[in-house]
Amino acid sequence: MAKPKELLEDKPGKEILLLANEAIARGVLEAGVRLVALYPGTPSSEIGNNLTFMAPHIPNFYFEFSTNEKVALEVAGAAAVAGVRSMMVCKGPGLNVAADPFFSLSYVGVRGGMVIVVADDPSMWSSQNENDSRYYALMGNMPMMEPADPIEAKSMLLEAYKFSEKLELPVLFRTTTRVNHTRAPVKLGKILPRPEKVEFEKEPFRFVPVPSVARKRHPWLLEQIEKAHELSEKSSLNFTEGKGDLGILTSGVSYNYVVEALTAMELKAEILKLGITHPIPEKMITDFLRRHKQVLVVEELEPFLETHARRLAHLNKVTVEILGKEQGIFSRTYEYSPRIVMEALKEVTTCNTPINWEEIDKKSQDLSELPPRPPLLCAGCPHRATYYAIRAATRGKAIYPSDIGCYTLSIAPPLETADILFDMGSSITTACGLAKVTDQDVVATIGDSTFFASGLPGIANAVYNQHRICVVILDNRTTAMTGHQPHPGTGVTGMQKEVPPLDIAEVCKGLGVKYVKNVQPFESIADLVAEVREMVKWAREKHSPAVLVSIEPCALLTAADRRRTGEFPPKYYVDSDVCNACKRCLNRLSCPAMYMDSETEQAVIDEALCNLCGTCVSVCPQGAIKQEEDV
Amino acid sequence: MPGNNGNTVNIAITGVGGQGVLTLAEILAKAALQCGLNVRVGEIHGMAQRGGHVVCTVRMGENARGPIIDPGSAHLLVGFEPVETLREIQLVKQGGCVLMSSHVQYPVAVSMGKAEYPNHDEIIKTMNKYTDKIYEFDAMELAVQAGSTRALNMVMLGGIIGTGLVPITEEAALVVVRETFPKKFEKINTTATKLGFNQAKSCS
Repeated sequence: MAKPKELLEDKPGKEILLLANEAIARGVLEAGVRLVALYPGTPSSEIGNNLTFMAPHIPNFYFEFSTNEKVALEVAGAAAVAGVRSMMVCKGPGLNVAADPFFSLSYVGVRGGMVIVVADDPSMWSSQNENDSRYYALMGNMPMMEPADPIEAKSMLLEAYKFSEKLELPVLFRTTTRVNHTRAPVKLGKILPRPEKVEFEKEPFRFVPVPSVARKRHPWLLEQIEKAHELSEKSSLNFTEGKGDLGILTSGVSYNYVVEALTAMELKAEILKLGITHPIPEKMITDFLRRHKQVLVVEELEPFLETHARRLAHLNKVTVEILGKEQGIFSRTYEYSPRIVMEALKEVTTCNTPINWEEIDKKSQDLSELPPRPPLLCAGCPHRATYYAIRAATRGKAIYPSDIGCYTLSIAPPLETADILFDMGSSITTACGLAKVTDQDVVATIGDSTFFASGLPGIANAVYNQHRICVVILDNRTTAMTGHQPHPGTGVTGMQKEVPPLDIAEVCKGLGVKYVKNVQPFESIADLVAEVREMVKWAREKHSPAVLVSIEPCALLTAADRRRTGEFPPKYYVDSDVCNACKRCLNRLSCPAMYMDSETEQAVIDEALCNLCGTCVSVCPQGAIKQEEDV
Repeated sequence: MPGNNGNTVNIAITGVGGQGVLTLAEILAKAALQCGLNVRVGEIHGMAQRGGHVVCTVRMGENARGPIIDPGSAHLLVGFEPVETLREIQLVKQGGCVLMSSHVQYPVAVSMGKAEYPNHDEIIKTMNKYTDKIYEFDAMELAVQAGSTRALNMVMLGGIIGTGLVPITEEAALVVVRETFPKKFEKINTTATKLGFNQAKSCS
């Protein structure tokens, strides 16, 4: 990871290797952004991870990890309304959470420049869907820009702020995983200063969209989009490149694949690369369509530009063959690659691809039979112990609504404690629905950060509507999956300031939950199982929600702490005289630090991988797993 | 022209989440930048990192634009673990090279008896369908020799440079290693890099 220190350097012209996410964090500095608010979400996470360490060193800058994306957009939106530059960052599904303020923001507009960074995730590397957020720009009528790489991520961001201020509208800055998580040499630019404070000038008949105001703002918004359209026609962010009979319309990361594919196939084509994808430069595209008999549209996910191109061709009576998803040349699922573009070019031009991929694919068929290695809970993960206890206490027969976080990985055998999931916070609310229409016990699990992000309304609902649900809050003292960001329960802010943490158990009690207990997953598995049983019984009898908070820091934090201090608890080992090779430890815990020695056929703990949680000790019926000082 | 290579050197790095694949990719790219090369790194973060199969890409040279290495396009496939290396073998281009650590880390499916780990000869035999240039050694052993199992990725870094397939000098790599990590791990990391370098050099 580029160090936040490098991102703070006042050395214009210096070239450093940056992820697009790091380039955006640097862009915040260079654009003089006054306030950034976000809730972490991969593939956008490293923006916040860097800003939180940069923030205390930037004069007149405020950064916060907001409790969720809706909150973040409202915090950042208000700052821009007040007149300073602001930013909100989220992943694709995060923009769904923030959809409500999103639509109001374009009606009321902003006085300071505002950028909303949204990171879509084609191929769903770490998301529950591959929604194409570009449609938000259309639906909300918000200008949109799409960088193709880390270099553009920074330069285009600076343009986005100017654009935003000219139009008094926020700009949707849409990236995809392969932009966010690509590293490239990026040149640092000048750092702009930030205003200390601004005076909020009241203008309620603009900023309070009661119906009579909103009715005036909608035509205003359409006028602004018309102005944006004129800017889009003239902007250098939309450009053509190369010459050839074939036209290729593209944007974002796909542009790179187009360039690479043309080079590799030694083909000539004219590329129209769009940086501004709403409002699109209609005249520029129409002229482009007129110049070619065939235009191939290369864009991941939905046929967004393709539909626009077809509309423009029809409207302006251009005779051109527009090729893309409608003919099945490209897929609407998953991310693209140079290969995918080359194969499309082969179909369109009948030129051959430089590699015989069919042959490689055929040769590689057997590789899918290799033992799979999906992501799983880390060695020493406290969730493993908690899930083991939940499953043991309910004999696998309860319904287990899950939520968004590392713990969704409990879907895999042998834990198998994830049965239903929609979105952040849905564990609690789906539990409510299931408890009403089934007779089964319902044990929901939700992480600490997710609880604060979206769990609170669900708890209030369960209390008020008297749902007989059990909720286990997996409090690992961090937002683990996205890279260990703080949350309201940790007592650290985005500015790195220590503050009083919110106590999850007290919050639940405050919301009216009558059964709330804190437990420690590493203390005794037997006790933990008993606690889950008692909770389930209580919820069933009292017909009310019951909560257990299972508290133990993330194994990765504990391991990092131990490496820092050099203090490690004694190691665990399997006593080969006692182990009778029953495999219970392997089969019930699926801990990556344990394996079966093929020669002795006994369980072994891999010292290099073991994170010293000791959960396996109490799972072994023989008492064969011991800690070194026990000898 | 081989695939999307052009004048570009494509290195795919694969292993198990937590082994330091991401860090290696970044160090390698920084060293490339230091040697005056254009470079792109493709990373995968988030859920994919939790103990699962991981692939990173490092692409060096003028024509490197995007992060992706297509099947049949990698000049060098670097594997931290045998099965994980085999899983990505289709990335290697004709005449390309594999640099692999022989140290096995069993997938949980194997520990649970739900899948079988292929034996070593089978792994090599399948790889040979793609290339016969396979440099293999126990990088974990060298990491332990250097002072920590966590230096595995630095052994692989040395190994990559030792193959002579990448336009980066050992010195440039060591400079980046020293700059990147805390002082107290410098000795372990530089030793690991040198051990990997010498090992790969003697193989090549």
